[in-house]
Amino acid sequence: MTIPFFGKSIFVPSDIIAAWILSIVLGAILFIYVMNKRKWPLIWEYMRTTNHRKIGTMYILFGVIFFLRAGTDALLIRLQLAQPHAAFWVFQQEKYNELFTTHGTMMIFFVAMPLLIGLMNVAVPLQIGARDLAFPFLNAVSFWLFLAGAILFNMSFFFNSAPNAGWTGYAPLSTDTFTPSVGNDYFVFSLQVSGLGTIFTAINMIVTIVRHRAPGMRLTRMPLFSWATLITSFLILIAFSVLSMGLYLLMFDRMFGTGFFSGDTGNPVYWQHLFWIFGHPEVYILALPAFGIFSDIISTFSKKRIFGYPAMVLSIILIGFLGFMVWAHHMFTVGLGPMANTFFAITTMLIAVPTGIKVFNWLFTMRGGVVKITTPMLFALGFIPTFVMGGVTGVMLSVAAANFQYHDTHFVVAHFHYTIIGSTILGIFAGIYFWYPKVTGKVLDEKLGKWHFWLFIIGFHLTFLPMHVTGLQGMPRRVYTYQWGDDLFALNLTSTIGAFLMGSSMLFVGWNLYKTHKHGKKVGNDPWDGRTLEWTVQSPSQENTFEPMPIVKEMDPFWYAKVSGEKLRTTNNTRPAPISVNTILPFCIAFSLSIMSLGMIYTWYLLAVLGGASAFLLFIVRSLTDERKAYDLKEGHSNE
Amino acid sequence: MKNILIRIRLLVFACLLTGCDISVLDPQSKTADNQAFLISFSFALMMIVLIIVFLLMTRFVWKYRETEHNKNTIPKDIKGNKKLELTWTILPILLLTVLAVPTIAVTYNQSATTPKATTQDDAIHIDVTAQQFFWTFTYGNGKESTNELVIPENKSIVFHLKSTDVIHSFWIPSLGGKTDVLPEKELVYKIDNPKKGTYDGKCAEFCGVNHTKMRFTARVVSEETYQKWLTK
Amino acid sequence: MNEQAALFKDKQLGFLIYLFVESVMFATLFATYIIFTPAPSSPRPIDVFEAKSVILSSVFLLSSSGTLIFAEKGLNVRESKQNLTGLGITLLLGLIFLGLEIHEFYKYVQEGNGLTVNVFMSAFYVLVGLHAAHVTFGSGWMILLLIQYKTMKQSYQLYTEKQRIFQYYWHFVDVIWVFIIILVYLPYLL
Repeated sequence: MTIPFFGKSIFVPSDIIAAWILSIVLGAILFIYVMNKRKWPLIWEYMRTTNHRKIGTMYILFGVIFFLRAGTDALLIRLQLAQPHAAFWVFQQEKYNELFTTHGTMMIFFVAMPLLIGLMNVAVPLQIGARDLAFPFLNAVSFWLFLAGAILFNMSFFFNSAPNAGWTGYAPLSTDTFTPSVGNDYFVFSLQVSGLGTIFTAINMIVTIVRHRAPGMRLTRMPLFSWATLITSFLILIAFSVLSMGLYLLMFDRMFGTGFFSGDTGNPVYWQHLFWIFGHPEVYILALPAFGIFSDIISTFSKKRIFGYPAMVLSIILIGFLGFMVWAHHMFTVGLGPMANTFFAITTMLIAVPTGIKVFNWLFTMRGGVVKITTPMLFALGFIPTFVMGGVTGVMLSVAAANFQYHDTHFVVAHFHYTIIGSTILGIFAGIYFWYPKVTGKVLDEKLGKWHFWLFIIGFHLTFLPMHVTGLQGMPRRVYTYQWGDDLFALNLTSTIGAFLMGSSMLFVGWNLYKTHKHGKKVGNDPWDGRTLEWTVQSPSQENTFEPMPIVKEMDPFWYAKVSGEKLRTTNNTRPAPISVNTILPFCIAFSLSIMSLGMIYTWYLLAVLGGASAFLLFIVRSLTDERKAYDLKEGHSNE
Repeated sequence: MKNILIRIRLLVFACLLTGCDISVLDPQSKTADNQAFLISFSFALMMIVLIIVFLLMTRFVWKYRETEHNKNTIPKDIKGNKKLELTWTILPILLLTVLAVPTIAVTYNQSATTPKATTQDDAIHIDVTAQQFFWTFTYGNGKESTNELVIPENKSIVFHLKSTDVIHSFWIPSLGGKTDVLPEKELVYKIDNPKKGTYDGKCAEFCGVNHTKMRFTARVVSEETYQKWLTK
Repeated sequence: MNEQAALFKDKQLGFLIYLFVESVMFATLFATYIIFTPAPSSPRPIDVFEAKSVILSSVFLLSSSGTLIFAEKGLNVRESKQNLTGLGITLLLGLIFLGLEIHEFYKYVQEGNGLTVNVFMSAFYVLVGLHAAHVTFGSGWMILLLIQYKTMKQSYQLYTEKQRIFQYYWHFVDVIWVFIIILVYLPYLL
């Protein structure tokens, strides 16, 4: 569609116009709702909060919103691929390339990451007996940086310049020579901003877990989700730093004429190294927390402690460690030579060992237990076979010479959806159903939850199982169509139908949220007969938790206290809690950085300088209004 | 051994779809044959793992499900079991070792290399130039063809791959795995003993707007036809 | 338990982890520099680098770590004068280093060796430039500290913590500079 704009006429694709109209309508409805219900104070409260549960809730809320957006991308992809030579709406060629780029990038960075970090925010402090994260202010900064990055990324689409080089942004395609539009600049800056937030979260989690555990909560008694969070945070520290520098170099290539990844003397494969040194650990950053969630859930609903706890912890550590030594298995076909290919094939196979240990330990946790199939448990039970299927195709992919055939085909697409949806997304759903009472005080409806699960899991296998075959049949990734002669029609149509089943399962989530909100009853502290400390605090958790502070003498302390019929011993002599404040500064910092990013993206350097300067000014304000100052003077350490 | 493997893969994939051949699993060259063997072999090994997990899980969930009887019982705590845990540490290692041997052997043979490493006299050398969004093949006598590759049967064919712009990937599923085509570095990939026939070739690395359309045809012909075609 | 001390230890640990993050980032840039240097086209590092300017700027930056330790001693014993002098001199040294750095870059550009001349120069500028940005940030930080010290609207202990955290940062930036000398300049000046 052509639209007149200041005397010029600009071509705008109809999907973007549709998106604008939809957003404006939804925005107006939301605005009217907020006006009528007088929710402004609530919004203002959340904008200024530093409380871990509230920030966690916001992470989850926005994660779900972006999940719907990226999920819509997936459905559009499937519609375009439903039959040979299809021409669905506008999604061919460049439009299709933008579609899978935004789908991938958003699912990884703005869906899976925030949802996991949201659950960590909600659950980890409660699990270990911390009164908040170690740095509440920084936690708010992390959240707003994530949101700023995500919104920045979404803006690109609304201005008809979505990134189009794939979520892997392979150079030289991603350099300005081959993709001159601002789309990939959006990619660079939005990931940079949100990545910074992720790094801060990792630091926060580590300090919280290392220094804020309840008395007696030794590391060897810590719930596995907290363990997974700890190891994941270490992975983030390294992986996201490397990504950040990769993007930094790519920014120079795109904007300032350097040639690290392109040109005569540049090295495109170096980008791949940097990207996968980030990218492969990232896979474990997504998977490990999910493993932790499942460990806690399986143990809770089998009424048994986790089988082989030390092995479970060790395998998390081992997976995290090996995760850094396998990145080049994404690059078997770039000609690193036989030595490197063999080395990375072997290290990749090795990861199967600790993963296998975990799977069998989960299974044996159920043995001899009383397995209660609630919705969270159902997701855990769906996870085991699904993830193992992704795991075995992972081992198949590690066979380097066979990988020459699988690489960059739909076989790989099937594999990583099996692992990431199989672990991360199922884990997130399980975690949301499990900890929902700690966020809202109500348990989600079980019947609708089960509908959600079955539709989702059946749709999932229907979508991705056929892709193994289409891949071997010769269908590369990232193609927008295929031919009748390719013999791919039936399988692709099956995938499309499956994708819509998965999509429809989300309607049940919406219905469930509504129903629970309207008719759900308040539950007590411990709706699931839980084992760990989070079930001792009020639902929803209050701002002053653990007063008095429980003393931990064994793992799963709450469970054993219940079994022996005694109350957990408590103490009032504890380390000082982190200081919570209400402040709009984190929001402003993130806002300034997005203004700076916009300035950089469109090379309006004045705007960039303004944004940057305002960010620095806010740092200064932050330093001068340190929340500890008030606390400090109150404590009576006055200035002598 | 190999027959069994072929039967396994036919069996499994036959359930998934009836009637059509899966090009990668219906190899038309020695190179692709080795790869198909690895695929089937690893698939068979992994099916063992998968079946064990499925059986254990079904059994445990069924046997230990919550019923009216056990609803209020508190199960005995089991911290772990050294023997069992060692079993599922060592068995996978053994399984992977079995898999690693052929993996290393074939990978060593087939990995793409840089030019100087390969000099085989009786091989046929073809320059492959990838460009957004077409393929150019240059033969020994200087003949060029676009999007159509013609090679003789039962020979070793050495492809010299080079891109003029972004990264592409050279792939003929029936004849062998892919090799990336890089702008800054020439890579060499060898396909041994292709059988007569016409096969699809495609770009397998996302390379821009018309990546989807960057396809070519590979015709494997008899030696005479090849010679004739070269001089045409 | 001293409540403030516990909270400070949180901050200390958090900041040290942050410095670890920074070191991973710099390590990536060092790797980039080593991979791309020397570039196939001119200029070579030998044509560009000058021992004199490197030594001069190193003297200023590295000695600033010493003056900062001197300031810290004053801070510990509440010798206001010693602390202020130490901090002041550190700031001055940092600024001189920055001036020299800007001069060095300016000279290179004047000689026609800008950011985009070849991939070696690019790798050099993105690494050393990022370090210079750190020194700039540190200098701003120091000015802020000086203001807070002068006005002292918080307890002495809380201020002490702030200066401590800054010290970790400044020493870290110095250590990075040592690596820059060893990995960037030295192999091509010897």
